[in-house]
Amino acid sequence: MTTIDIDGEEAADGVMTLVVTVVELLVDALEREAVRRMESGALTDEEIERLGQQLAAIEEEIEQLKEDQEIEDGVENLRGDLDGLVSDMIDRLDEESAPGQRPGYSVFDEPGGDER
Amino acid sequence: MSPEQNPSSNAHSSGSRSESESDSGPSDGERSDSPPSRENDGLSEGEQPEIDEGRYIYCLVSVPGGDDDSNVDFETTGVEGEPVSVVTVDGIGAVVHECDEIYDSADFSRIRRWLVRHQSVVDDAGQAFGTPLPFQFDTILRGDDDGVREWIRSEFETLETVLDSLADHWEYRVEVVRTDPIDDSTLAELDDELASLRERIDEAGDGAGFLLEKQYESRAKEVRANKRAVLADDLRDRLSEHAREVHELERTPTATLGDDAGDGDDDKETLCRLTLLAHEDEESAVGSVLDDVAAEQGIEVRFTGPWPPYTFAPELGDSSGRDSGGASGGDADAPADRDGLGERTVAENSTGTEDNHTSNPHSTHDR
Repeated sequence: MTTIDIDGEEAADGVMTLVVTVVELLVDALEREAVRRMESGALTDEEIERLGQQLAAIEEEIEQLKEDQEIEDGVENLRGDLDGLVSDMIDRLDEESAPGQRPGYSVFDEPGGDER
Repeated sequence: MSPEQNPSSNAHSSGSRSESESDSGPSDGERSDSPPSRENDGLSEGEQPEIDEGRYIYCLVSVPGGDDDSNVDFETTGVEGEPVSVVTVDGIGAVVHECDEIYDSADFSRIRRWLVRHQSVVDDAGQAFGTPLPFQFDTILRGDDDGVREWIRSEFETLETVLDSLADHWEYRVEVVRTDPIDDSTLAELDDELASLRERIDEAGDGAGFLLEKQYESRAKEVRANKRAVLADDLRDRLSEHAREVHELERTPTATLGDDAGDGDDDKETLCRLTLLAHEDEESAVGSVLDDVAAEQGIEVRFTGPWPPYTFAPELGDSSGRDSGGASGGDADAPADRDGLGERTVAENSTGTEDNHTSNPHSTHDR
């Protein structure tokens, strides 16, 4: 579980990491959408060129920001954690239907034990 | 190829969720420090089921002719240094120690020691009696030795069938890793779409090139994934000839309990992870199949075993009528029952779940 230290000087780093991560995810989604539109033929060559340049510029800026703030590792870790979080959620959903797979201690009552 | 023997330090038998908790590392806050096997939905922090007298079960084994516990010669030290004994009924022995509480700690290394101990006891039992039917860490049966006997009797037919069918069969783990990644130009030769994207990129301006580059990346990812799937399917087919069952596991374990937790090597691509149940006589046949795979340039195969058949142990305890409460034995997995954890407990044990395995042998074996 990821925690962000909000005390002391790490706080700014933590918030910055979080914000940059979210922006990165957003840009990823935009890029995918741009590719989809490009391939669908809905954009003129000029539009494609402009869109690509803008996205490239944004990506470059984010990379620069991460470098300046020295949060490259933090962002990468957070993205990894988010991936893990999503996988966990999916696992948990699965477990609703397969409870036997749940980890945890198991204590069994002996058969007929309570009356004895 | 011969499998590496399973060092006892490979013991991990907690579930995948707990592993993912430990994934973030023991120093990462209280969540990750919480013990691996607490999923006590219905219990508040620190609350534990009360056990006046109980038996911690490591595994079940076949004890030919053994109907008197004192005849069984098996001594080892269990979790927390508890003396381990074997309780037998008509040729089935339960490897147990006496306990009066569940094993729960906030100390990560302590839990790790417990898990290792658990695994070594199961290993020792396997050495002494042949293939054991392993139980998940922290599985406790309320009552004394007689309670254990009664439970064995009540499940006797199932247990006997399972033990017989697993006899001389062991679990083996296989991990195929590409140490030498396929470079882009090689990849493009393999896929027309990549090749045509590459051409378009070369002709495009900066902006369009950027988007095409993105498209290229995602297609390359797809191609790699397809190649992995082909390899895994093929390997599974070839191993099936020598194994009773072959399962494909997630490509990356959610986490490991080993010291090497999380040190992913970026240059290496795990192509597939398989686990199989094979007769011990087939071990070398499996090994030669793997030798073929490993012969390819840039491919490394990790083969471990023999392990107790954690992945292939059936689930026990979700059949009805085992509980004294009896009210809802069959549905004992329902959340409501979990809420009652403190007094009437859960029949959700499985003798070893797939989860056990997510981490089991491979996480630390290649030390």
